[in-house]
Amino acid sequence: MASIELRGVSKRYPNGLYGVRDIDLKIRDGEFVIFLGPSGCGKSTTLRLIAGLESVTSGDLLIGDQSMVGVPPRDRDVAVVFQSYALYPHMTVAANMAFGLKMRKMPRREIATRVDRAADLLGLSHLLTRKPAALSGGQRQRVALGRAIVREPKVFLFDEPLSNLDAQLRAEMRLELVKLHRRLGRTIIHVTHDQIEAMTMGDRICIMREGRLIQSGPPLEVYANPVDTFVARFLSSPPMNLLPAHLEVDGDGLTVKLGEAIRLAVPERHVPAYRAVAGRPVTFGLRPEDIHEQPPAPTQQGFEVQVVALEALGAETNLVAQPTASGALPEITARLGRQARARTGETVTLYPDLLSMHLFDPETGAVIPRPPLDAPR
Amino acid sequence: MTDSAGQGRGSGLRLLLTHALLILVCLVILLPLLWVLRVSLLPPSLSYSTDLSAPLSLVNFESLFSGRFPRSYLNSLVVATGSVLLALPFAAATGYAFARFTTGGAVARFSVLATQMLPPVVIALPIFQMFQTLDLSNTLTGLILAYAALNLPFLTWILMGFFKGIPVDLEWAAMTDGATAWGAFWRVVLPVSLPGLAAAGVLGFILAWNEFLFALILSGPNTATIPVALAALQTSNGIQIGDVAAGVVLAVLPLMIASRFIQRFIVEGLTLGSVK
Ligand SMILES: Nc1ncnc2c1ncn2[C@@H]1O[C@H](COP(=O)(O)OP(=O)(O)OP(=O)(O)O)[C@@H](O)[C@H]1O
Ligand SMILES: [Mg+2]
Repeated sequence: MASIELRGVSKRYPNGLYGVRDIDLKIRDGEFVIFLGPSGCGKSTTLRLIAGLESVTSGDLLIGDQSMVGVPPRDRDVAVVFQSYALYPHMTVAANMAFGLKMRKMPRREIATRVDRAADLLGLSHLLTRKPAALSGGQRQRVALGRAIVREPKVFLFDEPLSNLDAQLRAEMRLELVKLHRRLGRTIIHVTHDQIEAMTMGDRICIMREGRLIQSGPPLEVYANPVDTFVARFLSSPPMNLLPAHLEVDGDGLTVKLGEAIRLAVPERHVPAYRAVAGRPVTFGLRPEDIHEQPPAPTQQGFEVQVVALEALGAETNLVAQPTASGALPEITARLGRQARARTGETVTLYPDLLSMHLFDPETGAVIPRPPLDAPR
Repeated sequence: MTDSAGQGRGSGLRLLLTHALLILVCLVILLPLLWVLRVSLLPPSLSYSTDLSAPLSLVNFESLFSGRFPRSYLNSLVVATGSVLLALPFAAATGYAFARFTTGGAVARFSVLATQMLPPVVIALPIFQMFQTLDLSNTLTGLILAYAALNLPFLTWILMGFFKGIPVDLEWAAMTDGATAWGAFWRVVLPVSLPGLAAAGVLGFILAWNEFLFALILSGPNTATIPVALAALQTSNGIQIGDVAAGVVLAVLPLMIASRFIQRFIVEGLTLGSVK
């Protein structure tokens, strides 16, 4: 059993700064959890605390229902892939991978088998006798990964383990890690900055900011229901459009007023949830993929924009545009299909799909809750 | 900018000037040494001769070897090596503690450095007194102890810098891999720091090898080290310049070998490749 539980965990460094603050998180045995957040938000610190490399300042940390206070790293049965790799420079690749097994007094034959298997999996077989100094960055990173994998510990802590690989290798390794997880069923925490890794690999995403855990949940759920503007913008690229707006009562319904002239009717199913904030300024959020060139429904209102830039990515086209209506609106981004017809400089009409709209408090950035749409599957 | 300028016009003149300057500096440094080398190879009667065609001879070395010099040479080797071997483990432990932990705070670090700032004479007299009472003067053991004590702060300081340069992630990796803190030090930090330890050891060796003041006070005729033995060649009959020159040449030999080592160790950054 290797569930991990953090109860109000804080880490304060001697210089008075907090690495992480009041983290409450329960990770089930065998769960694959993604940590996501901007640089310096405390992801690595959290891993170090779980691994026992730094001590928790306050709060309690449990692995497998046992408090880990005072338990040294070697007794936690945790393997870490360090962000810096931290390969042993005086040992060969093979010795690097074997070190942890040797420390645990595993028989030589078994060590050799495991090292060979991991090397094979990671494409390192031809490098086993080299020293780290004679490897490329990506090769070093895979050695670091191999050193963790061979141990088959209760818990894997991966700190951006694929950051230095090329796109193709990264896709392969992503798959290998998912397979590894399926095969061994161990608890994994995986830190990443990569959009695809974050959305596809884990059972759950934990989003951190400034040392705090601000949202956690299954990737698609978090994507569909961000708790605030930060999560809304952070979890996708291009990020969610956020526009200053006013919510007005319109008979039985509600209207989102953007700038002076754009009025968009709030779909009926969202009206009950949003009625409480009617008459107030709000931040209106809509993801780029929820803005279309054609109306999603015949009655859907659109608004005019002038196209500022087009990014044709092959499978899709990102369109950056300035709403032409008066009222100092920021530029918006729409994610259109391959056959987007708009051209730079043109004025076109875009149709937002308001079913996927979000409203946020303009002061705090917190979401104004509404019932979730069924997560698309 | 200077890189591309190397290709341009006028670079020839610059190159020439640079080299002329370098050669000049080299001569300033080398000429005295070359002079000593030449004197060591001339018979004593020609020591001060400016005749470049004078016949060379090994008579100075012969006379040196017939006296106490070989003994002093051995003494120096024993004392310098012994003191380094004695000081190094302690210096490594202290340096590591200073590098990784807050042990002792800034005060401890400064006091280690401060001992290096004291003029040696200040401690020479108390040490002499102490060694007298302990029956350690006139013994090689005494000298080894004294030099180990002299070397300790110096080596600690050097090694502290070296350990600081080793990423703590390395130890953390070892610790998650199942090593104790001691095991991480022994199996990872120490092997990685071998070049640093060797470099520090060589520096400490040189320090002890060249030391004069303490050797003068603490040694007797049988325990004299090279600097003392060379000084003793200034007899009432005047300075035996030929013997002194020969002695200096022999004394410099191990230093030249040592400097080769030190270059290799310092240049070779072993942590290379451990982190990105
Ligand atoms: N030893 C330390 N002393 C003081 N502050 C520290 C220390 N280590 C980390 N911090 C601070 O703690 C915060 C969290 O650092 P951490 O390394 O966990 O960030 P991260 O989320 O892993 O960032 P990145 O994505 O850049 O790796 C940062 O603001 C950092 O400056
Ligand atoms: Mg990090």
